[in-house]
Amino acid sequence: MNNPSVHFDGVSKVYPHFSLDDLSLELPTGTIMGLIGANGAGKSTTIRILMGLVHQDQGRVHVLGREMPREQAAAKLDIGFVSEDMRLYGSATLAWHMKFVRSLYPQWDQSYADTLLRRFDLKPQQKIKGLSHGQRVKAALLLALARRPLLLVLDEPTTGLDPVARQEVLAELVAVLTDEDRTILFSSHNTSDVEQISDQITFIDRGRIIASDDKEKFLDRWRRLRLVLSPEADLPSLPGVVEVGGSERLPVLVTNRFDPAMVSACNDAGATVQAVDPMTLEEIFVANVHSRREKQTV
Amino acid sequence: MNYAIVKRLVLKDWYLQRWAIMASLAGVVVTLGIIATGGKVAFLLGLILLIMVIISIGAQMAVATIVTERKEQTLPFVMSLPISYREYTASKIWGNLLIFLVPWLTMVLGSFGLLLWSPSSRGLLPYAAIMSTEILLSTCLILAVALITESQGWAVAAIMVGNLAVNGIGYVVAHIGGIAKGMWGPTIQWSGAASAVLLAELTIVALLLGGTFFVQSRKKDFL
Amino acid sequence: MHSDLVISQTDGRPMYLQIMDQIRQRIAVGDWEQGKEIPSIRQLAVTLRVSVITVKRAYMELERDGIIVTQQGKGSIVAPDPKLGAKLYDQELAKHIDRVVQLGELLGLTPKEIASRVREAADRLTKEYT
Repeated sequence: MNNPSVHFDGVSKVYPHFSLDDLSLELPTGTIMGLIGANGAGKSTTIRILMGLVHQDQGRVHVLGREMPREQAAAKLDIGFVSEDMRLYGSATLAWHMKFVRSLYPQWDQSYADTLLRRFDLKPQQKIKGLSHGQRVKAALLLALARRPLLLVLDEPTTGLDPVARQEVLAELVAVLTDEDRTILFSSHNTSDVEQISDQITFIDRGRIIASDDKEKFLDRWRRLRLVLSPEADLPSLPGVVEVGGSERLPVLVTNRFDPAMVSACNDAGATVQAVDPMTLEEIFVANVHSRREKQTV
Repeated sequence: MNYAIVKRLVLKDWYLQRWAIMASLAGVVVTLGIIATGGKVAFLLGLILLIMVIISIGAQMAVATIVTERKEQTLPFVMSLPISYREYTASKIWGNLLIFLVPWLTMVLGSFGLLLWSPSSRGLLPYAAIMSTEILLSTCLILAVALITESQGWAVAAIMVGNLAVNGIGYVVAHIGGIAKGMWGPTIQWSGAASAVLLAELTIVALLLGGTFFVQSRKKDFL
Repeated sequence: MHSDLVISQTDGRPMYLQIMDQIRQRIAVGDWEQGKEIPSIRQLAVTLRVSVITVKRAYMELERDGIIVTQQGKGSIVAPDPKLGAKLYDQELAKHIDRVVQLGELLGLTPKEIASRVREAADRLTKEYT
């Protein structure tokens, strides 16, 4: 297994109203990691620290083997970055931007750029200020993708895109991974996109990483159990129960440590299992955050 | 420091500002034309106009290339390029100064030439040197403030301070004993006071530019 | 061969299961013959626009079940097993039987009652077919 593309070790950053707290993260090469978090949770700050655009107060950051922020110029030769708050120069054309980026990066692949122009339906002679939001996002992605960078760092790449454009972008992102040496880190509100294409998933909330794991393991461990309690029975105590809802006789449990053996355990304890529902990533994230916040206020 | 990339960044800014740059240079040419028509009034008016154009070139370019990067949100795009604060700062300073220096040198050489040519006004030369350098200093101040604060408000304040300084210093220096004495004569009288003022101005220019680099290196939040 | 599989977002089952089922079906009806090369994990991920890890999981479980064989560095092929078709149907049968039992339990039937229901259905349906 090769070295991770991104390595955060005990990273902290303090702002007046927000802080990143002892963040440690590893992004294996050749994978896609989706970063999920509420607004203001720290996704953008984490990404900016990764790019060397914000200096951490504590901790070490290594990207593609280089120390950030000290070696950011060298690292950025192999990183493609697109963020939601990034704009291109309105008075210039897409063609000008392509020429400009091409002059700075030897790895620019013009034939791939032409393919992307067709796939994304962009006209190079158009001025950036004349493009719709979705077209601008695709233009910025094209400029990053056509260089075939080793690492793609994307902050909300599909936000604001229509469904067709979204699928086009997701398709291009997954296609990047045909090369085993290339890695993608993207943050998104769109949990279904993250669920679809991510290999690894990281949840971030209020400046802390609250979970980071293999996507399939995540989806396997979380379940919603609908039970029917017989009148004399008590609610069985199950491992990893994060949330209890429903009514007294028809409780609904959310657990993050599901095991098929739980079903028979429940039935034996007088709580008939009516259904075992898998949960979407969105439901998992919300349940995770709620339970954490509840514990904090208690 | 990657000079190849700095050059490309400078060219990028010049391309994006091409209309403003061409308009400014046209303005310089026009005012030189006015001066060249001869006559005392034309000369005076032309000179004042020239100084205004030059000062505004420096100010406007600084704001357009630096403050707007933040306002138009193109800063993340630029900083995603394979550069650090060094290349960014260098490209902004070089890009702006080079454009500024063209009309500025024109003004310096032009006014020196005129002063040397007409025998009665040669004494003004030291004063002209000091005032020209003062205009350069004002522009460097605006550049430094714009880069460090990235704020339109502060940049505008720096522009106002720079203008006041040019006027204020112009008045003060004209009354310094050593300089005032020889100003209105037909010969160049380079006094110790003049050298001191000139040296001070150049030192401040160096401090402003070097200081900008230093402050930029200490910035922990580039976005 | 590559554009065969279709993943549905509205299908409630996990993606890796959908992939596994569709591959099994292709093999069972003979679309994908035994010994034939199937898309590599990364290729299929790109075609379906899903994560590599999901396809990897599907392939690993299929291999565990003996449906496909992955050769180190050479990609994957349909297992060259003459009894493969029968094996797949057998797995389907086992799944459905488990489901029948689950439903029976929910209804409160005993194993004996469930078995007699199955027997009754088998008798009825085979009579219809003969």
